[in-house]
Amino acid sequence: MADGISAPIEHRYSPYTDNGGTILAIAGEDFCVIAGDTRQSEGYSINTRYAPKVFKMSNNSVLANSGFHADGVTLAKQLDQRIQESTGEWYRHAHEKDMSTPAFAQLLATTLYGKRFFPYYTFSIVGGLDKEGKGCVYGYDPVGSFERYTCRAAGSAQNLIQPFLDSQVGITAVNRAEQLSLVSVIRIVKDAFTSATERDIYTGDFIEMFIITQEGVETQLHPLKRD
Amino acid sequence: MTTVLKAGEANLGTTIMAVEFDGGVVIAADSRTTTGAYIANRVTDKLTKVHDRIYCCRSGSAADTQAVADIVHYYMQMYSVEHSEAPRTRVAAAIFQELCYKNKDALSAGIIVAGWDKHTGGQVYSIPLGGSLHRQPFAIGGSGSTYIYGYCDSAFRVGMSRDECVEFTKNAVSLAMARDGSSGGVIRLAIITEGGVERIFVGGEDLPKHYEG
Amino acid sequence: MSSTKVAGGFSFENHVRNVALQNKGMALPRATKTGTTIAGIIFKDGVVLGADTRATEGPIVADKNCEKIHYLAPNMYCCGAGTAADTEFTTSMICSDLELHRLATGRDSRVVTALTMLKQYLFKYQGHIGAALVLGGYDHSGPQLFTIYPHGSTDKLPYVTMGSGSLAAMAVFEAKWQRDMERQDAIELVREAIESGIFNDLGSGSNVDICVLEKDKVDMLRNYARPNERGQKEQNYRFQRGTTDVLSTSVRNLVIVEEGDQMDTS
Repeated sequence: MADGISAPIEHRYSPYTDNGGTILAIAGEDFCVIAGDTRQSEGYSINTRYAPKVFKMSNNSVLANSGFHADGVTLAKQLDQRIQESTGEWYRHAHEKDMSTPAFAQLLATTLYGKRFFPYYTFSIVGGLDKEGKGCVYGYDPVGSFERYTCRAAGSAQNLIQPFLDSQVGITAVNRAEQLSLVSVIRIVKDAFTSATERDIYTGDFIEMFIITQEGVETQLHPLKRD
Repeated sequence: MTTVLKAGEANLGTTIMAVEFDGGVVIAADSRTTTGAYIANRVTDKLTKVHDRIYCCRSGSAADTQAVADIVHYYMQMYSVEHSEAPRTRVAAAIFQELCYKNKDALSAGIIVAGWDKHTGGQVYSIPLGGSLHRQPFAIGGSGSTYIYGYCDSAFRVGMSRDECVEFTKNAVSLAMARDGSSGGVIRLAIITEGGVERIFVGGEDLPKHYEG
Repeated sequence: MSSTKVAGGFSFENHVRNVALQNKGMALPRATKTGTTIAGIIFKDGVVLGADTRATEGPIVADKNCEKIHYLAPNMYCCGAGTAADTEFTTSMICSDLELHRLATGRDSRVVTALTMLKQYLFKYQGHIGAALVLGGYDHSGPQLFTIYPHGSTDKLPYVTMGSGSLAAMAVFEAKWQRDMERQDAIELVREAIESGIFNDLGSGSNVDICVLEKDKVDMLRNYARPNERGQKEQNYRFQRGTTDVLSTSVRNLVIVEEGDQMDTS
């Protein structure tokens, strides 16, 4: 290579980037907590310390997206349009009710699969209440394969958080999720994020937490370490 | 002449130059060292002493040219001790050439050697990438030099005075710095004569102004 | 037998095998990188060196409080960025070479001696030893500061930064560095530069280590600033005694005494 002739370099447009960040959700007996950190990064740089990736979609459904942030935002926007205005009429007017969380979960799956060969680069989680009023959580892969969980983590600290959730609220836990109070679930969520922030460089800055109950959706913002 | 560097290697993007005049040489260089798009050093000294009145101007890989200059510096010290006399510029240039030619596959180094000795006066030698050696009345090198071949061929005159050479050099290097993204910062100049080495620093505000549209 | 008997230096024993494995698609083990912010400045009476304390393995923090300012000689310290093992071994080897050199010559080490040894060593390995260093020291010619790149090139500057956070730290220096600063002002400036790396570069984090080198005096200020203390956890995660069910118990006597008294195991 020292002969002064440079090798040809192939320049190609890449439509995806990974913006890091972590999301998680826990389904309780009659509530659901879904949260994400707010750091948006690329490589070793932080783009912004506050870029929400958890979106309230209705009075009982909340969507969280990790992966490529622009796809996550686009996906949320598109789903929002579908909920508000389905085939020319608002869903509420067409059906005389809000879309249920299980129905929204199915809508997300079909929307993701609709882009099977140019996927949204998002790892999504949906949190809400099912038809019986029980907390429900759905987890997805980028092309729409989904499943109902009691607890789910996704994103850059998934490998750090999921085993912790399993040990505290999952099937292996001493206290099952349905026995946990809202207060103790919130504690677990905070500890999951503060611990992930210690070891995952892409997680940090703030936790944005959505608490879904029969009364509606409440949000909380908590600071995380910024290093 | 694009130099290919190893990933993450410090690059002397560089404009370097040397001109002979009656009684000595003027050498000059910009001061920019880059690693990719980042300026690792904005006040680099690319004019490196290898003996009291022999300098080299370095372009290409910073690591390679420093290593070669350090070796030649060592040989020059040994030479002057063994011969009790300062080496000729020609000797330094020949050793530079030997190193650059024999290790051509491992080096990316474009070097100009210039100096004064009592036998031949001021001399300029150019050693481009392959390791050939050329004595020239003036020499330019580095990525920025491609922008100023026309200017130099037009502005150079045989028999210029010391001060005319300084002006010529300042103008040429500042023109190259303005056009070449890998060259910039300040101009470092040195005038090597029998009397010694006079070093001149031309800071950003004092650079000659040319058309900037 | 003879191929394994090496006098010193690196062993390339497994090189051919590893290339073969790599060609079959096996990923080679990744070395711990210290995605780092390191920096140094010259002030009125000496040199201040600074470093963050995060070590990473890809996106994971491997060590939250590692030491990146290495000892070279009584009057010299060296900050390391890049491959952790390379900075560690390179500095410790040059450190022992300098010690032997002092014993042989009976003189204090000079900073340029260490500089030359480091750059010649790194140049020899053509960048394969991934050590990016900031060398600071004080000798008979006063305070001195250098950077050394993995390929063996060096720079001599009054203020320097290196590592993935070097741009963030240099931004602080370019804005605020002044010639002949007071000792405490210099320490605070380096702290600010390192903190800029800690907060803006994901490869850097946790605490600030500082080292001040002056005439016949060295101050190693480990964890000079701790801007990232872990907050109190919301609850305790110790498992209750008895969490794991005991299904059966069997105790075996492993000490069988055939003659004499049993060993006192109390």
